[in-house]
Amino acid sequence: MATQSLSLPHANVSSLDRHTLGRRLVWVGWVALVLVAIISVSVGPTGLTLSSLPQAFSAALSGSDSAADAHARLVLLEVRLPRMILGAFVGASLAVAGAMMQGLFRNPLADPGLIGVSSGAALAAVATIALGSSFAGPWVRALGAWALPIAAFLGGFVTTMMLMLIARRHGTTAIATLLLAGIALAAIAGALTGLLAYVTDDRELRDLTLWSMGSLAGASWQKVLGILPFALLLLLAIPRFIRALNGLLLGEAEAFYLGIDVERAKLWIVTLTAAAVGAAVAVAGTIGFVGIVVPHLVRLIAGPDHRIVLPGSALLGAVLVVVADVVARMIVAPAELPIGIIMAIVGAPVFLHLVIWRGGALSAP
Amino acid sequence: MIRAQSVTYVAGNRALIRDIDLELRPGRLVAIIGPNGAGKSTLLRLLTGELKPTAGRVLIDSRDMAMLAADHLSRRRAVVSQHTALAFPFTALEVVLLGISVPGLDVGNPGAHRLARTMLDRLGLGQIAHQTYTTLSGGERQRVHLARALCQLECGRVPPEETAILADEPTSSLDIGHQLLVLDELARQKENGRAVLAVLHDLNLASAYADELLLLSSGTVLARGPAAEVMKDDRLSMAFGCEVRTNHIPQNGAPFLLPQSCAAASADTGAYS
Amino acid sequence: MSRFIAGFAALAIGAAGLAASTSLAAEVKDATGEIIKAADTSRLLSIGGDTTEILYALGFGDKVVAVDTTSQFPPEVLNKKKVGYMRALSTEGVLSTGATLILANSHAGPPDVVRALRTSSVPLVILPENEGPASLIEKVRLVGRAIDAETEANELASRLESQFSALEDARSKISQPVKALLVLSVSSGRALVGGRGTTADVMLELAGTANAAASLNGYKPVSDEALIEMAPQVVIAARRSPEENVAADIAALPGFKAIGAGEKVPIIIMDATYLLGFGPRAPKAAGELMAQLYPELPQ
Repeated sequence: MATQSLSLPHANVSSLDRHTLGRRLVWVGWVALVLVAIISVSVGPTGLTLSSLPQAFSAALSGSDSAADAHARLVLLEVRLPRMILGAFVGASLAVAGAMMQGLFRNPLADPGLIGVSSGAALAAVATIALGSSFAGPWVRALGAWALPIAAFLGGFVTTMMLMLIARRHGTTAIATLLLAGIALAAIAGALTGLLAYVTDDRELRDLTLWSMGSLAGASWQKVLGILPFALLLLLAIPRFIRALNGLLLGEAEAFYLGIDVERAKLWIVTLTAAAVGAAVAVAGTIGFVGIVVPHLVRLIAGPDHRIVLPGSALLGAVLVVVADVVARMIVAPAELPIGIIMAIVGAPVFLHLVIWRGGALSAP
Repeated sequence: MIRAQSVTYVAGNRALIRDIDLELRPGRLVAIIGPNGAGKSTLLRLLTGELKPTAGRVLIDSRDMAMLAADHLSRRRAVVSQHTALAFPFTALEVVLLGISVPGLDVGNPGAHRLARTMLDRLGLGQIAHQTYTTLSGGERQRVHLARALCQLECGRVPPEETAILADEPTSSLDIGHQLLVLDELARQKENGRAVLAVLHDLNLASAYADELLLLSSGTVLARGPAAEVMKDDRLSMAFGCEVRTNHIPQNGAPFLLPQSCAAASADTGAYS
Repeated sequence: MSRFIAGFAALAIGAAGLAASTSLAAEVKDATGEIIKAADTSRLLSIGGDTTEILYALGFGDKVVAVDTTSQFPPEVLNKKKVGYMRALSTEGVLSTGATLILANSHAGPPDVVRALRTSSVPLVILPENEGPASLIEKVRLVGRAIDAETEANELASRLESQFSALEDARSKISQPVKALLVLSVSSGRALVGGRGTTADVMLELAGTANAAASLNGYKPVSDEALIEMAPQVVIAARRSPEENVAADIAALPGFKAIGAGEKVPIIIMDATYLLGFGPRAPKAAGELMAQLYPELPQ
């Protein structure tokens, strides 16, 4: 009986310990999130701290007119707070969507982008920017600031639905087809995006480039409301998907034997993740790495049980994006770095490290 | 308890299973034997409800399986597949626990753990409970999945006589000692009242453990009944396309088969009788 | 009685004078139609290279506390704090400069940030789009009204107006307009040229040339074939920094080689901000270009 010793840290950790470790991770996650949220709201280029919070509230509630109160209200309640909340929901949505995709595709390297959400959203955003000054102009102007988020969301959602239609024709090979068709659609979307980018002028092209690097800069309560329903739908559905995702890890047939309604689970998972990721991309542009790196880190610490991976990913994803946003805001203040760049700078090496050092744990034997 | 009525299954213009009737009754172990490509796994998958028959029905407790929800079925039957791919680093114990936690059977953590440990011990896996699944040998993995299936049924709150275990080649990667371990366990489950179906490639094991054998070839049943009736030279030769010589254990007359090359069999004129 | 009248008159004049000096710049209507009351003009934030140039031309350079990254002239601006690219501002970043008045050109963005800034206590004046000489004059006057420097602004405006009319006179003397192509940049083997509706187009027109790329809309990459069809007689290249060897880059492109760029088709190089910023230096830049292209014209 071959018992090779692999350099996996959890190879000999008792399963009970790992579950306890997982629970602790979730607790730590909540604490970290609260801490990071407070830090995020109390830190900024204007130097305002939480001590100005009372002023901010009095301005908001009593409509006080004093310049200091109004300033505090603007910075703390209209800029930092919605930004922090947006970042948290974007991070949580992307991370959970990533974890669910990895469970669905039974592959630790899967990413919401594989089901075409990000490329579809990007294509729609580009189309809006490019065509917004031509024939689609009146509609775009009518929607005003909502045009881009709505377009991005619809783009992501429609792409995913198209994909489901293609994949479901093939019955039991659906997941593999989904993967391949997703890659194909992403390529098509990329080509169309390039085409449209060609049609735009210099100014619009810059806007596009900036948008695709991801940013929470224009965060507002409106945007928070924009993402909230979809993020909440996904996050609150977590308990219902734990069983299905754990079962699916053994394969669709096994999941069925264990009592999971596989088709329904797949449909719900794809739909909810598409909606949440579409909304996230719509309000914050494309932010990479969260969907892959975060669930992976959680699995490394606490094992692949979705009872921990899902909530853990949500919390860690939220913490990561909020922290990255603080860095984005402060590092070149009063200017800002796009958050996608920070994630790439931090995420890529971490990801590389994971793949190289823990590669053994990733491959299906 | 599980019954196939005139079941036919066609896939890609080929009839893999033709008009088969089969009944799994509580407290009996049925073994399906036959050459490669006979349709044994397909038949098993029809009986589990995973595949829907092209014609005919599969009933469980007299109800059509196709009409029942997955979780209703999961309390009444558990399946051990031939191959299960698992890409993530669960420990052996955690995989067994999936048999309880995924169907959502509420056993409570300590109870679930105790049960999982018991099953692992029974199948000789006590030592490797905390080892990562991906580091286990093929045989160890098979036993882990059997333990998982047993846990699933154990917690389903359905009396054993109303449950079934269906195993596809549960002994294919095991050495003789572990083969007997697994089959002894299946036999014990049968004694408890469960209906057991096993696809076996080892004719001798099938002969020794099964109450009923089903010899399958090209999607049809060539022979069915107790070992003594099915393990006949002519039937087996026809099914496996090779000259076969069976013999009988002197003490109880149980049939067995010693392997011999197809060429030698025709030349030999009874050296073993 | 006369003493009373004199006293009253003195009071009135005194009051008017007082009112005038603390007359917090009167209400200003900016290009988006917003009414802005700029009470304190001591710390200015300037968004847009042209905005910055106007402020310095009016003598208010020392009041500028921060600028965006497109502000490159005059050179002392490079030492000012930067709030980032004009289309990618951050609300808090802008507010942290402590500016008491923000002057921004029409490109300031993103729209959410502009909206948030409007709700802040810091007045934000948005200047009109660049559409030609008239819009430049309007920009100057609007800035002047906003920072309470109407006299200086009017002076600058009339100077610019006379420069523009001088250009117009010179243009009328051109018998055969030269076909010019303006190259904004060269990247990955393609040249980005200024078509219709760009500042490049405006400048080419001011300099009395015909835009060879009039068939294109906006700044677009040009294909080799199109280049040959455009048949420009002169290529004008915008250079971002002195280190760039733009002429060589352009001449190396096959399409440009085919039309004889660098040989029978001269390549004129001008600083990008100078040529295309469309600030107060615009008429001067157009004049310089015109002088290079039509040396026979009287200056």
